[in-house]
Amino acid sequence: MSKIIRLAAALLFAFAAPVMAQDIKVGTIFPLSGGAGPDGQTVTNSVKLIVDQINAKGGLLGRKLVVVSKDDESTPAVGVSRANEMIAEKADVVIEGWNSPVTLAMQPILARAGVLDITAVSKSDLILSGQSNPNAIRINSSNGFDAAVIAKYVVNTLKAKTVAFLTENDVYGNGFQSAVEAEFKTMNFPGKVVATEKFAFKDTDFRVQLTNLKAVNPDAIIVTNASNSSGLPAMVEQYRQAEIKSAFVGAVGIMLTNVFKVAGDANNGIVSADIYFWDLPPFNSIPESNAFAAAFKKAYGADPDKGAALGAAAVQVWASAVEATKSLDKKTVAEAIRGKTIKGTVFGDATFLPNGQLQPRYVVFKVVDGKNAKLEALPQ
Amino acid sequence: MSTIEQSRSGSMSGTRAAIFVVLAAVGFFLPKLLGGTSVAYSTLTTIAIFAVMCYGIDIVLSYLGEVSLGHTLFWAIGGYTAANLSVKYGLNGWSTALATIALCIVAAGFLGAVTLRTREFVFSLVTYAAAVVGYEIAFNWDAIGGSDGIVGIAALKLPFGFATFSGLTQEDLWPVAFALLLLTLLFLARFRHSKLGTAALMVQMNPALAASLGIDPRRIRLAVFVLSAPITGLAGWLYAYQRAYVGPDMFETYFLVLMLTAVVLIGRRILVGPLIGTAILIAQQNLFSLGGDWNKIVLGAVLALVLIFWPAGLIGLFRRAGGSKLNW
Amino acid sequence: MNIAQQIVNGLVLGSGYACVALGWTILLGVARLVNFAHGQLYMLGAFVTWYAMVKVGMPYPVAILAAIITLGILGALLQSAMMRLVMTQNLTSLMIVTLGFGYVLQGGSALIFGGNPQTLPGTLARAKVDLGSLWFTWQDVLVFVATLLLYGAVWLFTQKTRFGSVIRAVAEDPKLAELFGINAKVVYLLVFMFECGAVALGAALVAPRSPILTSMGFNEVIMTFVVVVLGGIGSIGGALAAGLGLGLFIAFFGAFVAQAYTTAAAFALLLILLVIRPAGLATK
Repeated sequence: MSKIIRLAAALLFAFAAPVMAQDIKVGTIFPLSGGAGPDGQTVTNSVKLIVDQINAKGGLLGRKLVVVSKDDESTPAVGVSRANEMIAEKADVVIEGWNSPVTLAMQPILARAGVLDITAVSKSDLILSGQSNPNAIRINSSNGFDAAVIAKYVVNTLKAKTVAFLTENDVYGNGFQSAVEAEFKTMNFPGKVVATEKFAFKDTDFRVQLTNLKAVNPDAIIVTNASNSSGLPAMVEQYRQAEIKSAFVGAVGIMLTNVFKVAGDANNGIVSADIYFWDLPPFNSIPESNAFAAAFKKAYGADPDKGAALGAAAVQVWASAVEATKSLDKKTVAEAIRGKTIKGTVFGDATFLPNGQLQPRYVVFKVVDGKNAKLEALPQ
Repeated sequence: MSTIEQSRSGSMSGTRAAIFVVLAAVGFFLPKLLGGTSVAYSTLTTIAIFAVMCYGIDIVLSYLGEVSLGHTLFWAIGGYTAANLSVKYGLNGWSTALATIALCIVAAGFLGAVTLRTREFVFSLVTYAAAVVGYEIAFNWDAIGGSDGIVGIAALKLPFGFATFSGLTQEDLWPVAFALLLLTLLFLARFRHSKLGTAALMVQMNPALAASLGIDPRRIRLAVFVLSAPITGLAGWLYAYQRAYVGPDMFETYFLVLMLTAVVLIGRRILVGPLIGTAILIAQQNLFSLGGDWNKIVLGAVLALVLIFWPAGLIGLFRRAGGSKLNW
Repeated sequence: MNIAQQIVNGLVLGSGYACVALGWTILLGVARLVNFAHGQLYMLGAFVTWYAMVKVGMPYPVAILAAIITLGILGALLQSAMMRLVMTQNLTSLMIVTLGFGYVLQGGSALIFGGNPQTLPGTLARAKVDLGSLWFTWQDVLVFVATLLLYGAVWLFTQKTRFGSVIRAVAEDPKLAELFGINAKVVYLLVFMFECGAVALGAALVAPRSPILTSMGFNEVIMTFVVVVLGGIGSIGGALAAGLGLGLFIAFFGAFVAQAYTTAAAFALLLILLVIRPAGLATK
């Protein structure tokens, strides 16, 4: 008897409620103003591009995707407000994070509300280990993986005997330096770390530190500076002005477009690594990457950089998981990503560790023509 | 006072008490009245917390006539105390609140003593310097959080002997935030008529008279400054539980400018001035955001224009337009 | 070698601080006005210089002049808006009004000039000087020389000319000065224009060291606080000494302790000095 009532009720609802294919809301929260504004804008543009591509192919689960983009102004308190707005607007997923403190502030808010939170760029280890979000996913590489690549180059390829660090004084910089030093230990590095100089993220004048480093004259200086729009280009120029002979080895991911644009040929000879270059192997032979690069260039008139790739991959990974599980539920989709491999992203096959970290593929490069951002890939 | 005046003031205060109770009740149910959504709760909780933060700086501005640029220090002390003690030692809300009050008093005592003989812009600059030093310490001292701060602050736990209040969601935290706001308002209303409050006002407005009455301006200054600190500190304390994350961003000018704007926008020594100012600013940021750059232009223009045309705050406009003589 | 180079570094940094702090300390000394828009004015000065050189094609010296004039005019406009508050000496409101102006300048500049970093070409910032093993750029020399000349000129002006004594009179006691027939309004207007022009000059000289962003501003001038309070508010010689001294302190602290903590050290030093000598710095 109750079964008939339940069936009747279900039929009643099915006919009474208008069948509306609601749009799926893809939220983005990145800095769109301030110092990191242009970077955040690039990532957001990339997300929009991929969403347009998905819509052109019929959408996701038969529904159209809509991007809701918000500006966190690189301020955690503002990010929290934006996250609350996303919750109110019933976003189905939020792709966020250029500055780690903003991500860390938004995480618990989004997690509590059951909204899936994919961190595209922020690098802090706490994002995955902090337990604020048990379903955390991060696309950008972590300091741990980065350190291995750089240490390998310095020890095996460069065969440096003396190494110095020029490190940004915060958890990101100090964390990277510690990770590299740990790698040195694991690899039984025969050389020595002879000096460490630190600076604040906002600094633009490094002559004091460079003077100290020049006096020590190590074989290599490992530089960690995330201030791609002002500090790092200034540092590169001052490094050359000081005529420091030591090899400039940049931490993973710091050599972004602005650094080349501003410091130009001063960059020549710098060796670093990153997780995406549209025109270097292995990425230039991945069909999805080539398609993405062409579409990005067409839509925005510039080649996509790593930030753009991270934004694109975030959407692709999420969309794949949704398609595979036929669900928008946070836990279901997250579990289809964490510890799993997603095919068909701009990175090729995207393999995630159980903790949500995407395993990166690195390109180690040397700058041959800084003015035109021409790089030469080095063997790893 | 004649009996007529006494009874009139008696019934006046009776009416005012009634009005207050009604407003308090409406205020408490405001989130429900506005839809009961999580956004309503979180926005109003944020407004309540930020308003309490502003009252600290308001006391210093209204009663000492000085602009303290260092109150973010107390805001951060509250946040960091709550975060560190609850995450590292599992202390409950009462303990962390008491620790916050104690630390704020100590910090304000030191800073107040240092600035005792400074006035106006030197006072402002010195308090600003203190905030900068505080920021640098918080940023570089990994033991208390470092540059990435402390994540995973557990829900607020306030044991009441027979039951424990646990502030897990925004809905749960609202009564605590509202209670804190109410307590602050009551405190300020009392303070205005207290010995210390009236003495401070006298020192500010007529130093000669105050001196002749034997009031020591330095003692008053220190007392008022020290009193203002735990208010902002407790706001920071609750903020840590609301956001579940505390970092050096607590020192950012974002909070300082919010405090200053909310306090001067409506007017000085108006009890609900900072509350209304905070509500307006948060509403603009959340509901009428025009993007980071335009928001700055609007905020800056509003600040500058309001103070240029109505140096006493928007209340000047209200009064000029023939507003009532309500003693807010 | 290291020491000598660090001394050079200290002088370079210090002359930059002193150059940027001059207008601010005079404004504070004469009008008791805390100009919170100082950082944004610095940023605007740098961008006007950039715009003049890159978009209009002016040579560097002309661009510097353009920046000074532009900001001078802006200063006149801002001061006229604030005049009533200045005359009534409503200092707390004034502080917050300048804060508001700073915000408008920041938002407006971001909209006009965009969020991307820019460089100032055609300056001497890339022209290196090699004196034995010491290195610095011709721009550093320019900043140092210009700062000394500027301070010298201002000092002579305030101490030796009639108008200079008028300014000092207004700084000392505006009401009394008015009684003597001095038009305080004009003085305030000119002093504010001077502050804007001076910070424009500072920006045009110092900013080419690194890329400029519309979001920079407060951070660039944060040392101005320390310079001004250490040197004595309104004191010209004090600001120069404090600026150079601070530069040397930062160079040596950075060289032998840790560069990353220099801001903390500078401000802690300020607080300590204020604890020891509170009366001395509460003057004016």
